[in-house]
Amino acid sequence: MSKEMKFKTIIAQYCEVLPEKMKGDLRFREDLGFSSLDFMSFLGELEDEFDVELEPEQATSISTVGEALELLNELDMAS
Amino acid sequence: MKNIRSIWDDTVKKYAKLPALRWLSKKNICEKSYGEIDEKVKDVRAMLEKGGYRGSHIALIGTSSEQWLEGYLGIVTGVNIAVPLDANLPDDELIELLQRADCEALFLSEARASLKEKALESCPKIRDIWMLTKEEFEAFPKHDIEVSGAGDYEIATIIYTSGTTGKSKGVMLSQENLAENVNNVVYDANPGCVVLSVLPIHHAYCLVMDYLKTLSLGSVVCINDSFMHMVRNMSVFKPEVMLMVPLMIETIYKKVASAEQDAIARAMEATGVPESAIPNNVLYAIRRGIYEKVFGGKLRIIFTGGAHLDSFYIEKFAEYGIDVLEGYGMSECSPVITSNTPDNHKPGSIGKPLKNVEIAFENGEILVRGSSVMKGYYKMPDETAETITDGWLHTGDKGYIDEDGYLFINGRVKNLIIMSNGENVSPEEIENKLALHPLIAEVVITGENNGLTARIFPEPEQVDKRKLSEEDIREEIQSFIDEFNKSQPTYRHITALVIRKTPFIRNTTGKIKRQDALKENPAA
Repeated sequence: MSKEMKFKTIIAQYCEVLPEKMKGDLRFREDLGFSSLDFMSFLGELEDEFDVELEPEQATSISTVGEALELLNELDMAS
Repeated sequence: MKNIRSIWDDTVKKYAKLPALRWLSKKNICEKSYGEIDEKVKDVRAMLEKGGYRGSHIALIGTSSEQWLEGYLGIVTGVNIAVPLDANLPDDELIELLQRADCEALFLSEARASLKEKALESCPKIRDIWMLTKEEFEAFPKHDIEVSGAGDYEIATIIYTSGTTGKSKGVMLSQENLAENVNNVVYDANPGCVVLSVLPIHHAYCLVMDYLKTLSLGSVVCINDSFMHMVRNMSVFKPEVMLMVPLMIETIYKKVASAEQDAIARAMEATGVPESAIPNNVLYAIRRGIYEKVFGGKLRIIFTGGAHLDSFYIEKFAEYGIDVLEGYGMSECSPVITSNTPDNHKPGSIGKPLKNVEIAFENGEILVRGSSVMKGYYKMPDETAETITDGWLHTGDKGYIDEDGYLFINGRVKNLIIMSNGENVSPEEIENKLALHPLIAEVVITGENNGLTARIFPEPEQVDKRKLSEEDIREEIQSFIDEFNKSQPTYRHITALVIRKTPFIRNTTGKIKRQDALKENPAA
């Protein structure tokens, strides 16, 4: 499974959208119905799955799927 | 035993060598025993005594940590009063609370170190600030005096809670109030039972149930370092008992349901049979695997409260052998009022009253009387008199008791918005701040889809004068809201904006009718 698909599969656990239909401009809260805790829990899973460390402050600026993927790629590059 | 000191001393006497606290430090599990914690508690108590603190209000600003607990117990097992504050509040709100609570000293987390100078400058009563760090606590002088405990009727803790008048209120809880809640909550745990604490420690529910109650039983409290790591930490600490708010249960269930669906799909593919024909032993194995992976493999009880939980989740978690027991409480009642227990529970209800609590109804509103009911709101006699009449506390919730003695809630009298993470949001508090913008003539905050919606009628004079289009208005107000959100903890973020075409409908005394806030005004 590609990294992007793995990333979208994690998101799909918290919403009704299939990973293959998940577009980058979808907003976690408004479009995917994430609660604040769903989002925190999702970030925790990203850490475990991709072995990166996220600062909760970094995460507060994220609102879309694309932005989260971008952050993940940046962290991956940095590590 | 009607005070925290006698409960704590008794616990230490019985369980000195047992672990009391576990936490993670760079992925390693650290641990402290009851005896070790008590040594530090005695140091804090002696240091406060020598510093001339007696009956003093001492604030704690920080998330759960060994130092927070030692600081808190050092305050309340002596003769002082703890004021736990929300570490996520903006600086100006914390300063205001330190001033209003007449705090004389402060335990402050490293993460909020920038507040130190501001607090010393703006709160002249504050004489000392200690950081909630290992280094600071290790440097405290070793105690060489014994300090007695406070009387049962002395105030032990002031907890700040959302107010309906736009100002948060300091709930004064006495030693007896807290001790009686600890003594009367029915909770089945043996010494050594592992509890994972995931709620914020400045909340009465977490402080009293996760810490004071759990520790009184000789159990181990494990500290969850972040909501981000809650599920991972369940695997790390393998708790038997947890306290959660409904939102956490909903989030965990999403993961469970998704893992179950995947596993069932794989089983269908492997066996070639439809879902309904999957043998029970395969289903059992699937659930066992998820139980180990998601819940840590030992969880048997989740206590929940603070907001409504759909009984669907109670049934679903029961399939995994986990009892979800709903309770009901509020800071003003130290906090538990009713609770389902492992032996007496009814889905959909919030349980039976604790033994030290009486319940009555007035026009459907739940009234509470008993030894856990607060002494009043700090320096707010009018609000206290409104809330407690003839010894009965008005909860603001509507409900009824069924023929078996279980309490059910079916509405609210006050305007507080209860989020499903258990946080209470006072709409007036936010409305007062937003109303300061010149383009906002009227604003009502409503709780919708588990978020806050700002419903705003723009100031017509401004709109005309500046020739603003609908888009201009929305853009300007949205950017003001974005700025407001930045200064607020997540649960107080405004997640939706509605610009109204007409002013809100008002009642005969000129007040906005909140129940009609979603309707446009036909008379306008």
